[in-house]
Amino acid sequence: MTAGINPIPDCNLMWVFGLLETLEDRGGREDGYKIARDLAFKFSDLLKVMKAAEILGLVSTPSGDVVLEPLGKQFLAVDINQRKLMLREQLRKHGLFNYFVRLLRGQESRSLSKEVVLEHLAILLPAERPERTFATLVNWGRFAELFGYNKDEDRFYLDHE
Amino acid sequence: MPLLDLKQVSKSFAYAKGDLSVLENISFTVEEGEFLAVVGPSGCGKSTMLRVINGIMPPTTGQVLYNGRQIDGINLECAIVFQSFALLPWLTVKGNIEMGLEARGISPAECEKRCGIYIDKVGLDGFEEAYPRELSGGMKQRVGLARALAVEPKVLLMDEPFSSVDALTAITLREELLDLWQAPGTSVKTVIMVTHIIEEAVELADRILVMATSPGRVVGDLKVELPRPRDKRAEPFNALSDKVFSLIEERS
Repeated sequence: MTAGINPIPDCNLMWVFGLLETLEDRGGREDGYKIARDLAFKFSDLLKVMKAAEILGLVSTPSGDVVLEPLGKQFLAVDINQRKLMLREQLRKHGLFNYFVRLLRGQESRSLSKEVVLEHLAILLPAERPERTFATLVNWGRFAELFGYNKDEDRFYLDHE
Repeated sequence: MPLLDLKQVSKSFAYAKGDLSVLENISFTVEEGEFLAVVGPSGCGKSTMLRVINGIMPPTTGQVLYNGRQIDGINLECAIVFQSFALLPWLTVKGNIEMGLEARGISPAECEKRCGIYIDKVGLDGFEEAYPRELSGGMKQRVGLARALAVEPKVLLMDEPFSSVDALTAITLREELLDLWQAPGTSVKTVIMVTHIIEEAVELADRILVMATSPGRVVGDLKVELPRPRDKRAEPFNALSDKVFSLIEERS
């Protein structure tokens, strides 16, 4: 059941958008190390951003370079709410997000408590820190309006369904 | 008639050892629809100037005219975005935006409606019930921006809005601010942004006011005649950045 479920980098999506803008300014392709240096951004953090953008299908990363993919270009051309829609489509295709979409759909309340989500994460991604992955799931999920999380009610749920 | 008219504005603060002059003899005007950046080193009084324009602080001498009338108290046609975000940690995203509206006496139904509109405009859909501590700096500043825009001000004042976020987030937020400012449905067309980042001013503004320190004064007023979107690696962009830089260097 866990086949095809890969970890997600703990990366803020606004970094991904900033990377795309930077690539557009530089003709669509640039050396990752050079971007980090020019922006005074930690290279280890930039690697996470590159990875996240790649997972989302927005860039490719051949031999240390970052290349804007057609989807990335399309993403830059649309407004913020269309970007959310595009992200939602991409996340649904990702193993981990897809797993929770299916899991939530199977719940009568269409929701889970954080503790239950953490238990699933511990089993699915034993090498990752569940709390951190949860935070990223919530952040990306909220941005894409795929998942919501209500801290007061401790309810992780499917948005838009 | 200019929208804003500062006439020989000075501001000083009284201390035991005597008065400290923070702004000295500042005069300039801002036209409706203009995007003005105010650039200068820290301590040049640019943030104080923003507060004088907003009416949070009165000038010691001189006048601030808005539509030709002298401002008395806070100018309700201005809204301000702070570097520190200034969000209330015990309120959700929605709560923080509503608070700004309720404080202005806007009816609950209208609050609800505007909240929805501006959450959507700044890309906060999905985050309505999140608390500030669950958000990255970039998302917090979106809340700050939505709260300011929701009061539907004529003038948006921004005090180093992207100085507390990292470089990639700042790039994203600048692009989005330009998109919002240029969008046909946006009520706010006049922006005054204080920044110490020269490239930020050259990228965004129609006009740059350069300030020098001790006491804070205006030492340059430059039009930015570069077409948008601006190519940050092009020669004219760099030439203008260098010019602003040298104006600041000369006087500091």
